[in-house]
Amino acid sequence: MSEVGPSPEVPPDWESLARAASLVDAEDAAVQDERQLLSFELDGSPYAIPVERVREIVRMRPVTPIPRVSPDVRGVVSLRGEIIEVIDLRRRLGLEASEPTRRSRIIVTRSEEGEVAAFLVDAVREVVTLSEEAIRPAAGSESGSVEALCTLGDRFVSLLNLDRVLAIDV
Amino acid sequence: MATRRSRKPAAGKADLEFVSEAEDILERMREGLADLSDQRAADAEVSPDLINRLFRSAHSLKALAGMFGLDSIQGLAHHLEGILDGLRLGRVALDSPALNLIVEAVQTFASLLESVGDQDALAAFAGPIEDLASRIETMIHAPVVSEDVLESLDIDSSLLRALTEYEEHRLRESLVRGRHIMMVDSTFEIMSFEEGLSGLSEAVREVGEVISTLPAPGDAPESQIRFSLLAATELSVDELVERIDSPEVGVRWVRQAPATAPTTSPAISPALPIDTEGETSQSSPVTGESLRSISETVRVDIHKLDQLMNLVGELVIQRVAIGDIASQLASRTETAQLGKDLAKIHKSLERKLAGMQSAVLEVRMVPMRQVFDKVSRVVRALRRDLQKDVRLEVSGAETELDKLIVEELIDPLMHIVRNAIDHAIEPIEERLAALKEPEGCIRIEAYQRGNHVVIAAGDDGRGIDRDSLRERAESLGIVSPGDSLSDKEVLDLVFAPGLSTRSEVSETSGRGVGMDVVRANVTALGGAVDIESIPGQGTTVSMTLPITLAIIQSLIVGVGSHRFAIPMNSVLETMLIDLNEIQYSEGRELLDLRGEALPLRRLDVEFGISSCEPDAKLFAVVVGLGELRVGLLVDRLYSQQDTVIKPIQGPVTSVRGIAGATELGDQDPVLVIDVSSVIEDVLHRRDSA
Repeated sequence: MSEVGPSPEVPPDWESLARAASLVDAEDAAVQDERQLLSFELDGSPYAIPVERVREIVRMRPVTPIPRVSPDVRGVVSLRGEIIEVIDLRRRLGLEASEPTRRSRIIVTRSEEGEVAAFLVDAVREVVTLSEEAIRPAAGSESGSVEALCTLGDRFVSLLNLDRVLAIDV
Repeated sequence: MATRRSRKPAAGKADLEFVSEAEDILERMREGLADLSDQRAADAEVSPDLINRLFRSAHSLKALAGMFGLDSIQGLAHHLEGILDGLRLGRVALDSPALNLIVEAVQTFASLLESVGDQDALAAFAGPIEDLASRIETMIHAPVVSEDVLESLDIDSSLLRALTEYEEHRLRESLVRGRHIMMVDSTFEIMSFEEGLSGLSEAVREVGEVISTLPAPGDAPESQIRFSLLAATELSVDELVERIDSPEVGVRWVRQAPATAPTTSPAISPALPIDTEGETSQSSPVTGESLRSISETVRVDIHKLDQLMNLVGELVIQRVAIGDIASQLASRTETAQLGKDLAKIHKSLERKLAGMQSAVLEVRMVPMRQVFDKVSRVVRALRRDLQKDVRLEVSGAETELDKLIVEELIDPLMHIVRNAIDHAIEPIEERLAALKEPEGCIRIEAYQRGNHVVIAAGDDGRGIDRDSLRERAESLGIVSPGDSLSDKEVLDLVFAPGLSTRSEVSETSGRGVGMDVVRANVTALGGAVDIESIPGQGTTVSMTLPITLAIIQSLIVGVGSHRFAIPMNSVLETMLIDLNEIQYSEGRELLDLRGEALPLRRLDVEFGISSCEPDAKLFAVVVGLGELRVGLLVDRLYSQQDTVIKPIQGPVTSVRGIAGATELGDQDPVLVIDVSSVIEDVLHRRDSA
């Protein structure tokens, strides 16, 4: 993908986003009191996760359902030989369920310990750099999974705590 | 190990492992000797580090040979270590005879390595080794003839006594080399003396050698500490003072070297070229040494093999896709010829890939001997700690298993053996009263059966007391007092979590981690554990494990709109059955399989999938593990395929009944059924979740 810029089919150039995300040095951001977040859409609202947790972003692909698991686990996908479980983030957060569209993406995340988790989101937006002042602790998040609300322009972006998202018992 | 057969000339894997490691060490020693020869030829002082390195190499070689039980090599390495230690401490003069002996020993090692695995050839070395050893010993014990230069030193005798033998040797060596010896005194603040001391030592080392660091006598203010460095240098006291340039540091002479040019030590004769390349080896008692490596082995990180395995797995999947395209092309008239040609190429690709697969698999295989050696060490230790007379007998050490399985197998096997020694083998009085031989026996057998390896660990101890086992299970609420259990079901309680057959806790077996963990570990590897026990005669625990986890043949089945893969190594047969052939007992479905009642499980019900196929026909896939049989009912059978079972990555770590997933050329992955847990659920009458 040499051309960076909006393509009509995929509004944000998610591949360059993914590349940018994987190149970001988390320490740099910390030194400057800034955080880089990957923002995405769920049920019409913006959410974000720290970019240092993002391993890659891929398009929706055939998913094999797994029996005997909670319905928010959509199933497994194959990614270059790896078999990865995909969590439907709408269902996990208790939002209204919907079927994937052309804009749907799978965000593959990795914890510091290298544990992989993949989330289905409605669309990926952009990588934003925010100063720590723009990030305010969220009051009264229902599942504890929204760690902070960030002001971005005139919108609030919900910053998710991935570990708490993973710990939600559905 | 209790059974050690004499080996054929073809060296086993353990031998090859030894040879390749030993060759690494010998190579390092040859390099060291070459450096030594260079330094002497240049009439330079031989670096003490070099001698120390050679000494450590000889020590490693000795330890390595000891680990592999190669006595002749270990013995020679011991002597070599001895002479190098002598050199290091100055007890043996660093002259040509000594170096030639070392070179000869290294060459002898090289020849010995060529014979590892061949007992007769090794035995033939006994004479030359003994000869070499006795010459080394003579040299070690020959007194170094030189008057003690230390006596002429103006040094406090109590200080001299504080020097180690090595330091004393370095002091002598420096005197011989015509260096000035001086004492560098300094006082440091206690709080920061480490820093100051290391800075000072560093400064001295730049211009000479720090022979020893000694705490200095004398009064020092309370918050201070005084040190003296015994130093050898070619600078004079004044020059050294100037260099260090610190008012806190004083330097005084210990011995000023004579102003003549440094002479070669009387203990070191003029350097003769040392033969490190083996040119004169014809005259030595051993055959000529080739510089080419003998073992031709490469040690590889298992993860690299995993990568290779993954790549081969993906090639196999793509091969399947090519096969599909070939048959599609062949089925259309206009491309029939193209399809046939492609099919031919596909066929040959298939054969070559199969060859590649088995070659990669072969690399991963290691003999059970590795596990047995570890077990035998543990048995020795336990015998000592528990004061029980137990011997270990093993057979089938050459049986090969995937390296990863072997790794995972060690803990369960150790646990079983510990249990046997700790609980099963009776104290001597009890054994004699039961007319058993006083020494208990633990027997481990490994053998291949089809695509599996069976590892059976048995003891001749007291056997499992069914009544107390049942009692404990009842007290833990695992079974109800009224339950009627077959003998096998009672024995199976051993695997129930939290159940240990003896109430007291021993240090060896502990409590809490028990046979349930063994079963969990083995099941995770796709295997099964069985237990048999005859009261008064002993207990045998058998683990059945797949030979490899890597590539396996799977049967692809369809249930509703889902596909599943069932590993072929547990599929016994498949059959088309009519719904009205199914019989019922207590509401559970059974099939008459040639007179035997085969319990059935419907995969759609098991996994909560809507099957909605109105057909009156179903397929039964008969799967078995050990002696157990279950029929899995599915809607369709697709094909048999090579599959690479991969773990599912993600927060839901495991789903009962699913062993992992695999890819089949098209994009969506197919889940692989974990046959052992499905069978277990059926037998324990556990209903699907």
